[in-house]
Amino acid sequence: MKLQRELVFGLSLVLLLISGSTSASAQSDPTGESSPTRTYAITNATIVQSPGEVIEGGSIVFKNGMILGVGTNVSIPGDAQVIDGTDLFVYPGFIDGMSYTGAKRPEQMERPDNLFTPNPPNDYAGITPERTVIEQIEVGDNSISNLRKVGFTVSHSVPYGRMLPGSGSILLLSDADHADQMILMSNVSMYTQFSGAPGAYPGNTLGIMAKWRNLYINARNQNQYAQVYSKNPTGLERPTQDRVLQAFYPVVEKEKPVFYNANSLLEAQRALRLMNELDFELVLGNLEDGWHMVDLLKESNAKVFMSLDLPDEPKDSDDEDKTDEVAELEKLRMESYKNHLAQFGLFDSLGITFGFSTIDASASKIKSNLTMIVEAGLSEDAALAALTTNAAKLLGIETITGSLESGKIANAVISTGPYFEKDSNVKMVFVDGHKYDFEIKEKGAGGSVDAASESTLLGSWSYVSTSPQGELTGKMIFEKEGDEITGLMTSDGGNPDQALSNISFVNGTLSFDYSFDGGGQSIEIVIVGDITGTDFDGEASVAQFNISFPITATKDAPNNN
Amino acid sequence: MKRKILSIFILLVAFGITTATAQTGDVLIKNGTVITITDGTLENTDVLVRDGKISRIGKNLNAPRGVEEIDATGKFVMPGIIDAHSHIAGTSINEGTSQVTAEVSMEDVVDPMDVSIYRALAGGVTSIHLMHGSANVIGGQNETLKLRYGSTNPDDLRFEGAPRTIKFALGENPTRGGRARGIQPQSRMGVEAMIRNSLNDALMYKKAWDEYRSQRNDRKTPPEYDLRMETLVDILEGEILVHCHSYRADEIYMLMKVFNDFGIEKLTFQHANEAYKVAPELAEFGAYASIFSDWWAYKLEVYYSTAYNAAILTKNGVNTSINSDSGELIRHLYHEAAKSQKYGQLSDNDALALITINPAIQLGIDDRVGSIEEGKDADLAIYEGHPLSVYTVPLMTFVDGVKYFDRATDAKDQRLYIDPESNIQDIQILDAHDHHLCMKDAEVMDFNSLFNNK
Repeated sequence: MKLQRELVFGLSLVLLLISGSTSASAQSDPTGESSPTRTYAITNATIVQSPGEVIEGGSIVFKNGMILGVGTNVSIPGDAQVIDGTDLFVYPGFIDGMSYTGAKRPEQMERPDNLFTPNPPNDYAGITPERTVIEQIEVGDNSISNLRKVGFTVSHSVPYGRMLPGSGSILLLSDADHADQMILMSNVSMYTQFSGAPGAYPGNTLGIMAKWRNLYINARNQNQYAQVYSKNPTGLERPTQDRVLQAFYPVVEKEKPVFYNANSLLEAQRALRLMNELDFELVLGNLEDGWHMVDLLKESNAKVFMSLDLPDEPKDSDDEDKTDEVAELEKLRMESYKNHLAQFGLFDSLGITFGFSTIDASASKIKSNLTMIVEAGLSEDAALAALTTNAAKLLGIETITGSLESGKIANAVISTGPYFEKDSNVKMVFVDGHKYDFEIKEKGAGGSVDAASESTLLGSWSYVSTSPQGELTGKMIFEKEGDEITGLMTSDGGNPDQALSNISFVNGTLSFDYSFDGGGQSIEIVIVGDITGTDFDGEASVAQFNISFPITATKDAPNNN
Repeated sequence: MKRKILSIFILLVAFGITTATAQTGDVLIKNGTVITITDGTLENTDVLVRDGKISRIGKNLNAPRGVEEIDATGKFVMPGIIDAHSHIAGTSINEGTSQVTAEVSMEDVVDPMDVSIYRALAGGVTSIHLMHGSANVIGGQNETLKLRYGSTNPDDLRFEGAPRTIKFALGENPTRGGRARGIQPQSRMGVEAMIRNSLNDALMYKKAWDEYRSQRNDRKTPPEYDLRMETLVDILEGEILVHCHSYRADEIYMLMKVFNDFGIEKLTFQHANEAYKVAPELAEFGAYASIFSDWWAYKLEVYYSTAYNAAILTKNGVNTSINSDSGELIRHLYHEAAKSQKYGQLSDNDALALITINPAIQLGIDDRVGSIEEGKDADLAIYEGHPLSVYTVPLMTFVDGVKYFDRATDAKDQRLYIDPESNIQDIQILDAHDHHLCMKDAEVMDFNSLFNNK
């Protein structure tokens, strides 16, 4: 974990350098090492061309953003920057099936008056399928570099919004000056989710399901009429020019799939219900618990991208006086957790093709989550297929990317060991032939807090945080138990204490996270900031909602008793 | 290949995965006191169930080979209880964001994993009417379910072939929203006007589509399709039974007048605490009432109530049922029926009809359930002691001949899905406030909106 935190830190430095030194071309190289033709050769590496296809001691050459050659007998062009691949593993660049990567959540619109109507304004109701994610892309957004750092080179990005936020596009996760430069394929999907408008119709799943049917059937009718009109318009009423319905036309024509953010078993079954009724191409994205519905998935042939956000491992109470009933409940909870992890292997054994979606996953956890999935029974080949070949097929881009073959896009991940092993690190990622290096620090001893600065951290801190819910106050308490630093977040508002995870304090930067139950879903809060003397100045962020807010703290004077 | 199939099978078993088709069972229940509801009470009688249906009722029946035999000597066998007003097994209850949302349907939000289903089974309940809430004037369509607990697929719980029903709401609940927002309806008059306007809109809608269809010309632009209007048209055409949240006699009478004007015949008043005041009028209209036994005074419009309501309605010839509207009451609806007997001196059979055949009639499923008759679905409950006795104990509950509850083999934890991130304490502590859900979701607030600018 320490390593990953440091990678974040290291990478942000790298990005700072890149973005700070260039404006005209994001990929210009002040060191002069890389060639203008983006020609690179990695030699003597273990190259996993595609799941199960491994070349030992092979070489791969990238030029002008494409794979020029791969194998044991590849000629290296004279202008290539040669990278010694001894002890390195080269994989096809990973593909994310559904996420907000690169997108910035738009400002919430003002709440209009008269919301209590059957037809509130479409933009407030979240019915904006005519929009596209490209309008929301911010080049250089952290989400791009964070995902790239764990090996992703392509993302099917979808826009933020409510019920029907807009269309998704397939993006190359490169540093670009303009969003257009990142586009691999634009407007490939219609993104939708069970997300009601606060205080307006459709407010929840009830209204969303009904509204979906209503929109679709109207679109089908209007599309039919528009075709009649276009053949011979004379004497006919003009068809309606409704951008919302027009956005549905390619879906009705089965030219564009619907990507449903169906997080749970029930949501996935509801999405399938709409598909069966209305007959469109469905891709289930972000599915977390699918093991109860394997038969339905097989029957429906719906495509699936599984969530890479895994539940936290349940912690049994260490209360020695706990009742047998509590112990039994803990056991069942643990079984459920294990089913979560094992479902990927189950899917694979049943022949259900799936990819991964990172939409709810925190990038820093993705690699360790993948390792856990593999440990729970998914073969490494199958895990790699979900990240590469299968994802490419599900997105319809398998002819241009997803494997390391001549003529495909130069997208690759280079790790210091087999990717799914705990101790390996991503050393380099190529996106469209652009090289991204990651600094890898050796693991130090004594956890992720510098021994020298321990005393600065340990103790009790009083914090103040200005969250959108108002001002929150309480204590952050850091203690040392054995070799380990543990932490606790208390709340003056009466919320239960939260145990902190991933505590890191290096070079004055403190970071940690914790999660809590926000009405049925686990909300993870990440806090990062700097300690100067006895003052902490940081930021708390909630990835799920793409928001962050300030948090400051002052160290309490040592307790005299 | 064989080996692969085997290993898949093992995996499926390990994950507790079963096929998603509704099961039917065979069973012979021997020598019980069989309360048929429609044909008297039969002592020392056997009930043979084949393939989910009651195939024979009689004495000294023999179990066909392989059919399980259950000794019910000294025990009571009655039709499974039907709850005509429930909000368990639904993930949302109100789409309360607008006053007429006829297009929404509870069939979309069925939660087969709600452990309340098992609790209801443990009280002898076999079918529920999962209703939309009462936040708006014309709420949403309801869903009639069979409590086939164990499947994670909502489709497995649907009462196949049950008529469609819809929720209307009168009085304080829908006007509360109107007054808070300064829009119609703010009074009972406004509620009536909204219902009339909506039904008139539906007639206009139907006319537009009838005209378009009669022309059979695809060179005409079709009218806008409106699922809300489609649903209202179906009400006018008698395809959807109306179940209306109501309390006061005046509003009950008002809706009968409205429905007379529009020719809508199938009407059940839910709650209907003052229905006894208009019992002859209800009987004349042919409207039904689904009420509480003795629950009132939780708001102003529910003060003028009586525990004699069920008896007065029954004796005036109004088909009446007793419902729960609660995840807790649903576990002892037989006690609720017994209260009506205590106050109104209903016969055993009339009292038990309140929770069996009467709600079945109100839901339009009385050809399938609600009594023990040959050919009907084997939805049955077995009790130790007479079900109207306060000492009665539910022992077993069957749906389609499949045993879903057995007190003898009742496991401690009946949840079908366990959230790995759940807090053990939350599971153990039962929050009584969760049990009354009529206005659930009416105030729209989710985590996301906490972080919004308003």
